[in-house]
Amino acid sequence: MKQTKKEKKLLLPQETHSHLKEKVRKQTDELKIKNAQLQKGVDREKLADDQIHILTKAVESVLDGVFVVDAKTPDFPIIYANSSFYSLTGYTKKEILGKNYFLLCGFDVNERVSEEIKQILFQGKPYHGEIANLKKNGEKFSSLLRMAPIRDIQGEITHYVGIKTDITLMKEKDLEIENQREEILHVTRVGKLAEFVSSLAHEISQPLTSILSYAQAAQRIFAGREPQLQEILQYIVNDDHRAVEVIRRLRTLLKKSKPTFEPLDINTLITDTANLMMAHITARNKIIKLKLDDPLPMIQGDRIQLQQVILNLISNSLEAMEASRESRELMVETSLQGAGMILVEVKDSGCGIPLENMNKLFTHFFTSKPDGLGMGLSISRSIVEAHGGCLEAKNNPDGGATFYFTLPVNMKQDL
Amino acid sequence: MLLQHKNIYIVDDDESVCCSLKILLSTFDFDVKTFNSAQSFFNAVPNHEPGCLVLDIHMPGLDGWETQKRILASGSKRSIIFISAEKHENAAQQAVKVGAVGFLQKPFEGQELVDLINGALDKTNEQL
Repeated sequence: MKQTKKEKKLLLPQETHSHLKEKVRKQTDELKIKNAQLQKGVDREKLADDQIHILTKAVESVLDGVFVVDAKTPDFPIIYANSSFYSLTGYTKKEILGKNYFLLCGFDVNERVSEEIKQILFQGKPYHGEIANLKKNGEKFSSLLRMAPIRDIQGEITHYVGIKTDITLMKEKDLEIENQREEILHVTRVGKLAEFVSSLAHEISQPLTSILSYAQAAQRIFAGREPQLQEILQYIVNDDHRAVEVIRRLRTLLKKSKPTFEPLDINTLITDTANLMMAHITARNKIIKLKLDDPLPMIQGDRIQLQQVILNLISNSLEAMEASRESRELMVETSLQGAGMILVEVKDSGCGIPLENMNKLFTHFFTSKPDGLGMGLSISRSIVEAHGGCLEAKNNPDGGATFYFTLPVNMKQDL
Repeated sequence: MLLQHKNIYIVDDDESVCCSLKILLSTFDFDVKTFNSAQSFFNAVPNHEPGCLVLDIHMPGLDGWETQKRILASGSKRSIIFISAEKHENAAQQAVKVGAVGFLQKPFEGQELVDLINGALDKTNEQL
């Protein structure tokens, strides 16, 4: 019995051992799983950390000013701004963080604008607009501001994120282009008016000449007789004089301004003019190609007037190509001709010039456009001629037309 | 004798200007012939035929300046008075410079034209 007991005793630890072993194994497995799960969690956290790190780095590296406003605190403090925001505004971190965004913004710009931004954001909509800003040092700058609400899971707005881009240079460039275009348009308008008045004056002076001559002939024929007729004839003569005076005054008023000649690089002039018209050309789905012979000797000319000619020829070509979708290409070419002349060609792939119009192209008031005045080409030709060149037109063998003009090379310089 | 030299030729592309000047100058006892182009004047009037020319500057085809050059080149001493409706800077000086009698801006007084013509005819008579 003792033996059995002993045996039993012996048996028992054996059983327990295997049981324990099994337990340990199970626990180890569980631990392994837990460990793996833990590791996964750590990995995930690390991944999340990495992501946050990259996102923060990205926002910090962006050249636009990025900032976040706390929407739940009543005075809308700025809780984050990237370094570009500081360099853009000229303020330091200390001066920005924790400050009421709308106050700061209102201080910075027009109060009405900041109120408008506020209203839009409060409606839960994003804001997008161009605003004029002041830097800390008082320097003005233009910025493009975009702000959008950030919502939590419940859809409640917790923050606003804003991106501020400095567009000062862009605006300045736009303004410069706009000013140049205005200047050319102004000169074109004045030129057109002057040309118009001068043609009108010429046309009216002819009948005024004959009216005056007829009246004076009649005065002589009836000299000393017919006092009533004499009186009437005198009225005719007087009114003729009055009309002449009106024309004389109009002519003085619209005297064509004298061109100011300076050394010019025709290639630069063409490139500048093409840039001025780029938006216009692209909007019409056309392409302009420049094939400029470089370098070319300088010419002597009036920048604005010559730009006016190039502008006029390019817009004519664009209009000639308007009707057709296939004809898209417009080419401006410069080359040096013999005898110290530079040739400028504006070649289009449009409808070409009907033969019967060829001779009338450059005369006043001739136009094939429904809303044209018929002044552009005649003015262009007189400008080119005043520069010592000539302006002509021809049809291309492969379709379209080419308007070309020559300009003498500036002889005062060494070639 | 003098009557023979009172020939006036008017060259102007404007019909109405030609007609009115012809009537006006006739009242001053001139013998007036009008032409609507320089070419028709050249075709009708020989170079040696005496008479003063009233010449419009702005004309299609041969313009006034070109016409005067041709007359000069032919060796003719014909007196020429330029007229124009277009505003020409320094046209008066230019006219005298190229050897014409003068320039009148249209519209002009009949008397002004007659004075120029008489001056020109007197000069021609002196030369004769």
